[in-house]
Amino acid sequence: MSAPQDRPALHYWSDEDVLLVYREVAETRELYLAIDANGAVTAFNGHVDLGTGIRTALAQIVAEELNVAFADVTMVLGATTAAPDQGATIASETIQITAEPLRLAAATAREFLQAQAAERIGTQPDALRYADASFRIDPSRHPNAETANVFVTLSDLIKGRSLRLPIDPDARLKPVADYTIVGRGQARTDIPQKASGDFLYVHDVRVPGMVHGRVVRPPYAGFDAGPHIGHSLISVDESSVADIPGLIGVVVIGDFVGVVAEREEHAIRAMKVLKVVWRAPPLIPDLNAPETPLRNNRSTARVLTDKGDVETTLRGATTPFERSYVWPYQMHGSIGPSCAVADWHGDHLVVWSGTQNPFPVRADLARLMDMPADGIVVERLEAAGCYGRNCADDVTLDAALLSRAVKRPVRVQLTREQEHAWEPKGAAQVIDVRGALDDEGGPAAYDFETRYPSNLAPSLPLILTGKAPPVADVAEMGDRTAIPPYLISNMRVTVHDMPPIARASWFRGVSALPNSFAHESFIDELAVAAEVDPIAYRLRYLTDQRAIDLVKAVAERAGWQPHIGPFSHGGSGDILYGRGFAYAVYVHGKFPGKAAAWAAWVADVAVNKVTGDIAVTRVVCGQDTGQMVNPDGVKHQIHGNVIQSTSRVLKEEVRFSSTGVASLEWGAYPILTFPDVPEIDVLLMPRQDEPPLGAGESASVPSAAAITNAIFDATGVRFRELPLTPEKVRAALNPLPPPTAPQRSATATRRRWAWPLAGAFAGALATGAAILPWASAISPIVRPAADTYAAATIERGRLAAAIGACNVCHTGNDGTPFAGGRALQTPFGIVYASNITPDPTAGIGSWSYPAFARAMRQGVSRDGHHLYPAHPYTSFAKASESDLQALYAYLMTQTASPTKPPRTELAFPFNIRALMAGWNALFLSSSPAPADALRTAEWNRGAELVEGLGHCSACHSPRNALGAEAKGTAHLAGGFADGWDAPALTSTSLSPIGWTEQALYDYLRTGRSHEHGAAAGPMAHVIETLQPLPDTDIRAMATYLASFNTAASTTTSPQAVIAASDSSASGANMLEPVGARIFDGACATCHGSDSRIASLALNTNLHAARPTNVISAIYQGIPMPVGTRDDVTAMPAFAGSLDDDATAALVRYLRARFAPDKPAWSNVNRDSIGQARAK
Amino acid sequence: MLNRTVEISLRVNGAETRIAAEPDTPLLYILRNDLQLNGPKYGCGLGECGACAVLVDDHVARSCTVPLAAVAGKSVVTLEGLGTGCGLHPVQTAFIEHQAAQCGYCLNGMIIAVVALLKRNQSPDENAIRDALRHHLCRCGTHVEILAAARSAAGLSRSASHQAGEDIR
Repeated sequence: MSAPQDRPALHYWSDEDVLLVYREVAETRELYLAIDANGAVTAFNGHVDLGTGIRTALAQIVAEELNVAFADVTMVLGATTAAPDQGATIASETIQITAEPLRLAAATAREFLQAQAAERIGTQPDALRYADASFRIDPSRHPNAETANVFVTLSDLIKGRSLRLPIDPDARLKPVADYTIVGRGQARTDIPQKASGDFLYVHDVRVPGMVHGRVVRPPYAGFDAGPHIGHSLISVDESSVADIPGLIGVVVIGDFVGVVAEREEHAIRAMKVLKVVWRAPPLIPDLNAPETPLRNNRSTARVLTDKGDVETTLRGATTPFERSYVWPYQMHGSIGPSCAVADWHGDHLVVWSGTQNPFPVRADLARLMDMPADGIVVERLEAAGCYGRNCADDVTLDAALLSRAVKRPVRVQLTREQEHAWEPKGAAQVIDVRGALDDEGGPAAYDFETRYPSNLAPSLPLILTGKAPPVADVAEMGDRTAIPPYLISNMRVTVHDMPPIARASWFRGVSALPNSFAHESFIDELAVAAEVDPIAYRLRYLTDQRAIDLVKAVAERAGWQPHIGPFSHGGSGDILYGRGFAYAVYVHGKFPGKAAAWAAWVADVAVNKVTGDIAVTRVVCGQDTGQMVNPDGVKHQIHGNVIQSTSRVLKEEVRFSSTGVASLEWGAYPILTFPDVPEIDVLLMPRQDEPPLGAGESASVPSAAAITNAIFDATGVRFRELPLTPEKVRAALNPLPPPTAPQRSATATRRRWAWPLAGAFAGALATGAAILPWASAISPIVRPAADTYAAATIERGRLAAAIGACNVCHTGNDGTPFAGGRALQTPFGIVYASNITPDPTAGIGSWSYPAFARAMRQGVSRDGHHLYPAHPYTSFAKASESDLQALYAYLMTQTASPTKPPRTELAFPFNIRALMAGWNALFLSSSPAPADALRTAEWNRGAELVEGLGHCSACHSPRNALGAEAKGTAHLAGGFADGWDAPALTSTSLSPIGWTEQALYDYLRTGRSHEHGAAAGPMAHVIETLQPLPDTDIRAMATYLASFNTAASTTTSPQAVIAASDSSASGANMLEPVGARIFDGACATCHGSDSRIASLALNTNLHAARPTNVISAIYQGIPMPVGTRDDVTAMPAFAGSLDDDATAALVRYLRARFAPDKPAWSNVNRDSIGQARAK
Repeated sequence: MLNRTVEISLRVNGAETRIAAEPDTPLLYILRNDLQLNGPKYGCGLGECGACAVLVDDHVARSCTVPLAAVAGKSVVTLEGLGTGCGLHPVQTAFIEHQAAQCGYCLNGMIIAVVALLKRNQSPDENAIRDALRHHLCRCGTHVEILAAARSAAGLSRSASHQAGEDIR
């Protein structure tokens, strides 16, 4: 698309044949309404649609006031070139506040047109009716046949005239009784396009010549204040992304780092591999337990009200109550990470943005780019729902910086991890309430103090680039609904204004939701102490008649049974039932603020007293919204508020590491899902004659107290700290320790590779080396000509290379076959794979066949230096001569690569390659592959492949302290491969189901077996390289390998193993609740019980002695499958998404859940996971 | 191996398509950038949220975790390809009738998941519907309307136990 998407307001001013209604602000005319001669109405509003359907509701208001059809009205929202500047779309105030000038503009136009028409017809304006773009005498008022056909068209009134009207503040608004559009359910205009895929979100903007950008954010994830902000970058190594195709630029400004590439996947890769060195971020307070950091945060007390004598009353009270309530940090959690497109041309910049704040963003852009604001156009398109401030503004500025740097239009989308880390959080809050009962059981005094560390969150690129100082300002926003709604004669309310700790900004129910959690929990507690029904108690002290009406209506709708004290709903088995009430009015804006809609909840809960699981089963939510423009939209907002706030209360808290936000994906930050959605009964108070009130947030506000009051009713226990995770509930309900891990603890088999043995290595081999000091060089040759070899020989060599899986190790880092350079982890250090292309200097182009054969069979390079047994020459020694010759022919006919791999530099004594001669003397056998005339030809072929070129034992056999493969029964009994454990292929396998020939065949052919799972790590590459092999060879290998599984279990079925695992689920959930939640959110999409892929219960790695492969699979993912199959999904790598704590919890859970008969892995914690990650 | 552009043939919304890209490129970017299909959306890149869901041979797949090479020769259907001729798919119609969107970013995945559910189970009960949607995340809280749309598409009368509320009393 190209700018502008909406016709600029300026253009309307030069139109003729149009009626415009405007408001004069600071000598400029802001356009609100345009009506053309055909009756098409365009209406303008400075707020934007955040996915709540406000576009539809605003159009209803305009259509109603103008007496035109809904379909005749088009809304223009937010674009800086078209819409009036009405500030940020916040506080649910679009209908309540910013729609007012629009309504007046429409009334102004209606009155004007009607008066003009009346004049032409010669009647009174009230006698006219507007329909079909014409004014006619209203037949109901003038049942006179003569005038029935007298009319004036809109065209008559508008055509040829440039009508310009200022908004008349006294324009007569239409009586509500006459409404036919407002107050009726109206289908939203955007949903058909959203359901068909035709809707254009900001994510879908494409501009000619557009390229793709990504940003690399600093390590102080989610923190935006302090001297290190903007000054933590040490270096960026641009050469690390030099080989990425279509890379256009790397952009560095202060701590702002971005990359731009022609294709999106390449920008993503550049973001991931760009080597950036940062200073270590400073340590942060432990915000996982926010109470102490908030109490310690510097603050200024602001007393909102102080009446009566609180202190004296509390001192004299016989039953004082002192309670503290703790609200966690929470996320807005937009489903779509923020996205923007920017197109910069020197003095002109256009951005396509999903911002809540088009005009403030334009000001930010002007500051960031050193441009005048009038050179900047902000086009506003819808984005994913935000419920407050997400990263939409940040990414708009990111895109502008990248576009300027590469002089192309750039689209930037943040990653899920970046959005989770950097969105300004909904702040934690700590509230203290002191109170007491008077002699009649009423609230004698109420002393309320609230702490709210949040501000407006300056746009991130401004502070990363140093354009704005990284100073945490204080915003006075902790006062929303801080005044309780009850008549209490001695009352003091204090807000401790404080700067943010983590980057924080407004989130639905800004500070009012936590404040009301405290008010409504406390009043509930007073009611119980006073031995009065909680609703009756509230009604005694509520003074606002509309609040009283609402509370009564909701109680009646829910069938509330008055009761005193808890346990009113009983229970059955482990389940306790309860019902709770809460009421609040959401007050927003600068104190004392404006009240939005009133809301009240009756919540029903079921509490499992054993597991601590809480289900909110039913919510009756009533709301007095005043006049409802679109009651369907209001009801929809209430549903959304009920579900989202239930999610916040039950599940949501941001986890922090010692330096930043640690919840980077949905497993670590779970939200409510479909199975847990409560039944919701909405009660809309009929108040169409009252002014409209904000409906976007109010229904959230009573949520927390209603739910915790219901839990009190069920259990007799009060919860004052959220969220209500099962472990927290269980701990409070059962002062017993949680179930413990199985007593047995596996001692991970320590690898015997240990450096103290190095001396023994040197000593043992020195003897051998004395016998065989050096091998001689073999003279170089000229690379054989390409036509030297027969096609059949080359083809056989291709298969030999496949069997030998040469490319698993020898592929170049850029994917060039056989080019070498890969760093291979061995117990002795990093060994770099060599270049085996026929390049005469970098590769083996000057090697004669005898030199090649010696390297393959004896581990000696052409120049005489010894190779390390990372090159499995002990296996290749068993390959047939004809296979080696064919392999040589094949390699010599490949494309030469001039890339020289890095030199392998092992530490002493392994760096003395000559010692390998002694090693060979001890361990290199020249015996051929096993052959057994009594076995089938298939078995014998398999033996040749497995033991020879296939070199399975190189990874799957254990090695001794000197790195030599163990023989005898230890042959193929499990080894080590490039940081992964290579499991046993013999009957010592820990697989819960024995490996049959068919399972081995499936696995080797497709990389998957439905009885075991998928190949991962190096084995996935092996499967890939085996692809060219004929089925007969794969079958032969399977036959041979299956013959090792003499003790393959035949008594256990996969179904039985899965059933045992399933029956352990509940115990595993209780044992590792955090891990269980991560599994459910991050893994269960694919690994759930209804998955098409094999259950993890069947996976050998879950049953292994140590978690190496499980951790590796989580961090590295599992690459694309090979061959054709139903399951097309690759496992994503979670290294950048799960931190060490989360991974440890997940790994412990996986073991408990999927290998319930095995002992827990020992020592799976942040430290051990961190070490595994470092590898 | 990696980093090598290959040509891969697949069927997208009924049309044979040839794509030149690296084989491990997530299908999502191919659909959005090469084929300019806006239905599937990037939500997490980890297969967690469902915003990028498409049908691959009539099964739900999360296109952010599907490598291009894995769908060679397969049939991919996106939100745009569900309808027939000029009409929308009945599931899409049900979502519109029940106003089952707020921001609508997750809507693609919700519709795709319900279509896939109905392909394998023509009369799902309430639990089957909720299970089919359990790993599709919605942050706006549109679940009530989405469930109503799914029930309607499944021909299931609105169950009394999940009544979604009434109008002005």
